[in-house]
Amino acid sequence: MKPCVRIAPMIGSRPGELPAEDARALAAHLETCADCRALAASFEVTDGLVAEALLARANARDFAPFVDEVMARVGHRSPRAAARTDRRSLLDALRERWRIAVPALAAAVVLAAVGTFMYGGEHVVAEPEQRLASLEVELSGEGSIVLQTSDGPVVLLAPDDDTGS
Amino acid sequence: MLPWRTTYVNFRSRQDVPTVEDDDLALVQRARLGDAEGFRALVVRYQRKVYAVALGIVKDADLAWDVAQDVFVRVHRGLDGFKGESAFGTWLFRIATHVAIDSVRKERITQRDDVDEVREADLEGAGEGILATSLGNDPRETLLRHELAAKMEAALATLPEKHRTILVLREIEGLSYEELADRLGIHKGTVMSRLFHARKKMQAALRGYAGVRHRAPAAGSDVERGTSEGKVEE
Repeated sequence: MKPCVRIAPMIGSRPGELPAEDARALAAHLETCADCRALAASFEVTDGLVAEALLARANARDFAPFVDEVMARVGHRSPRAAARTDRRSLLDALRERWRIAVPALAAAVVLAAVGTFMYGGEHVVAEPEQRLASLEVELSGEGSIVLQTSDGPVVLLAPDDDTGS
Repeated sequence: MLPWRTTYVNFRSRQDVPTVEDDDLALVQRARLGDAEGFRALVVRYQRKVYAVALGIVKDADLAWDVAQDVFVRVHRGLDGFKGESAFGTWLFRIATHVAIDSVRKERITQRDDVDEVREADLEGAGEGILATSLGNDPRETLLRHELAAKMEAALATLPEKHRTILVLREIEGLSYEELADRLGIHKGTVMSRLFHARKKMQAALRGYAGVRHRAPAAGSDVERGTSEGKVEE
């Protein structure tokens, strides 16, 4: 078999596309084979002309109606479809992060179960009135809120009220 | 009122300037949320290039127009499935390639496939330097190149679909051997030999324009017998 048969398909490759060994073999062959050198020169001349020709044809064509025709075919994307996309995005996000989401969900379920057991059964001693009395809310000043809790008052300062005036 | 004025300086380093890919993704996101203008912008951005790819593969201008529209319709339908793992352009042209090839295959009644394997017979006449000697390598000869480009489309149309496709993807999209192998689902070696055949056929189709007479193959040679025709590839 002529070495050209093995080398010829490599002609026209771009830098870095061939393994180093093949690139060296190609270069060495081109130095000694006039036929393949001529072929490479021919390929080089026409390189890019296909793209040039097709893009020239595309640029010569009036594309004004194209986008309108496409938009007419796709119609308006309904808000319902958009919402579906959002929901799907959330599901996708959960699916992609299942290693975090599943343990977190399991932990939440366990905590909820423990909480129910500790405070939802016989251990709950506070009467509804007592619980209500432990938390009183009053408005103070310009938008600040005071929470009267069983542990003492907690003042939530409004943004304008943080200077204490 | 605040005693000072906050001044916002729009300062961006070069690295912060959004790339086309970033911009595409922003438009995709807008389109996914129902913003028709976002999708319209994507169509306008890519319509000519998609059309050019389609034209290269299907050969017919009107069919290429329809194919290009089908591509964008499919893209719109598939927006939810686009994960952004590749660039939008890559995804778009992958769809364009498939739609165009499907279209050709639907249209085609019967057409023999050519082999991709390179044989010694395929190298007959390789030394003629067909276009290099006739046209020269001077890139400044733009007029000649333009005239030649006008002939390229006709020459391209003479190639079998798989050769047109691989040339178009290589030249318009600039895909590498690896990317072509991935896009077309063939081995890298097949990509290389298929490209070789495609280029050789383009050269042959352009010979008439270049005014070079092809050296007649020797009587009884593989070329004359056409052994490179009608074989099963790969």
